[in-house]
Amino acid sequence: MASEMRAPLRVQGLCKYYPAFRLEDVSFELEPGTITGFIGRNGAGKTTTINSMLSFARPDAGEISFFGLAFPENDREIKGRIGFVSAGMTYYTRKKLKAITEVVKAFYPEWDGQAYQRRMSAFGLDGEKTPAELSNGMKIKYALALALSHGAELLILDEPTSGLDPVSREELVEVFLKLKDEGKTVFFSTHITSDLEKCADRILFLQQGRLKADDTLEGFRDAWRIAECGKEIPAELERAARGRCLTRDGYTVLVRKEDAGAAETREATLEEIMIHLEKEAEEA
Amino acid sequence: MKLVMKEWKLCMHPMGYIMLMCAALILVPGYPYGVSCFYMGLAIFFICLTARENHDAAFTLTLPVSRRDAVKARILFCSLLEILDLLLIGAFVLVKQAIGNMPNPAGLDAGLALMGDAMILFALFNMIFFPIYYRDVNKPGKAFLFAAAAMFLWIVLEVVGTYTIPFFRDVLDQPDPRYMSDKALFVFGSLALFAAGTAWSIQTSAKKFEALDLSL
Repeated sequence: MASEMRAPLRVQGLCKYYPAFRLEDVSFELEPGTITGFIGRNGAGKTTTINSMLSFARPDAGEISFFGLAFPENDREIKGRIGFVSAGMTYYTRKKLKAITEVVKAFYPEWDGQAYQRRMSAFGLDGEKTPAELSNGMKIKYALALALSHGAELLILDEPTSGLDPVSREELVEVFLKLKDEGKTVFFSTHITSDLEKCADRILFLQQGRLKADDTLEGFRDAWRIAECGKEIPAELERAARGRCLTRDGYTVLVRKEDAGAAETREATLEEIMIHLEKEAEEA
Repeated sequence: MKLVMKEWKLCMHPMGYIMLMCAALILVPGYPYGVSCFYMGLAIFFICLTARENHDAAFTLTLPVSRRDAVKARILFCSLLEILDLLLIGAFVLVKQAIGNMPNPAGLDAGLALMGDAMILFALFNMIFFPIYYRDVNKPGKAFLFAAAAMFLWIVLEVVGTYTIPFFRDVLDQPDPRYMSDKALFVFGSLALFAAGTAWSIQTSAKKFEALDLSL
């Protein structure tokens, strides 16, 4: 019960049904001061989950609480303690950043003007510019500056690194790590799993609207092995295979660690696990 | 109040200011003056269009406010524009009466009754536009189509009425200060309709918006 009270976010049995897509029974809980990566291919339901969590879309079932407070019943208090950033969403592209900030800060009694100026300066942002004049990475940083200046304890980011060049992605990952050091909880969805290898404590893997894994980064990776097989897959690996991919040198096969037996295998990256499991789902 | 300020600072479209100036159409001889209210409806449509293009609904819902607050703020902001338009129409009516008010062959004269007529038009707009708009904030055009059609029908009724309906022809369309008590009753009735219609619109629109899945 105590951990439930402290959990920055708790999702229980979340369902959202569309005519062509079903999000089924998604449950997880975030621990304070951690970075959680929410992975899955495009269309797996990551954005639907986030939209339902934040009531942009009305869930068909499920319970959501932030900091032990039921949502959306306590939406005003909760929204004061969280920050939401979506890479695909740009607000008021022709308004100056300082004009947007003036509006936003009026809603937060605990707004910290000095922290805002510090973040703007650290991120190299100019209040005289408009969102239309910013790169995608800078837009994300501006949204983060806003969220952090009203003291958001939990940051929810939808595909923040998508569409960014590798250097900008690296910069954002460093920002997330610094936020974690400040005690913030970060939850971000992505299909660029290499970003998570650098910063995530926990991985949630969503596949076809269902949560397939909820584990630590190490636990998730340790559960799987990759076998590089050449053009022919050995029979014992064929039986244990959980998806296979064709590469320049032949096939790679994902197997559970306990099923690897004596076969020559190596550690799997997050990307390899996700791709192989998606291949398996496609074949099924 | 903070949300209403947000509407003004972030969602106000320049057409809002320009259309307010359309109140000056009252000075044009032989013109259906209700059309100046239609232009304000057009400005509100532009505001909602701007809001859609800037993902305003999603932005607003990230702030510590409820969906109901967001709906209330938008409708109140637009109603304030309508009230400002009414005040400007009133001012131009006074100007026109001061410089010599000729009878208007295209509907009501520029007089007290015109204020009531304008309030009925705004009430109609608010009661039709917003409940349809908040069923899907990504389709303001559909809401405007229905609201504009209703305003157009009322303007036609008013213009034709000044020739065919006795109350319009013999009372409302008579030059001020004739029948001032009847006209004042008409204005109070219209004001009540505007206030009640806008309040009803807020309630109904909020219910629609509560149920809406935003497609981000």
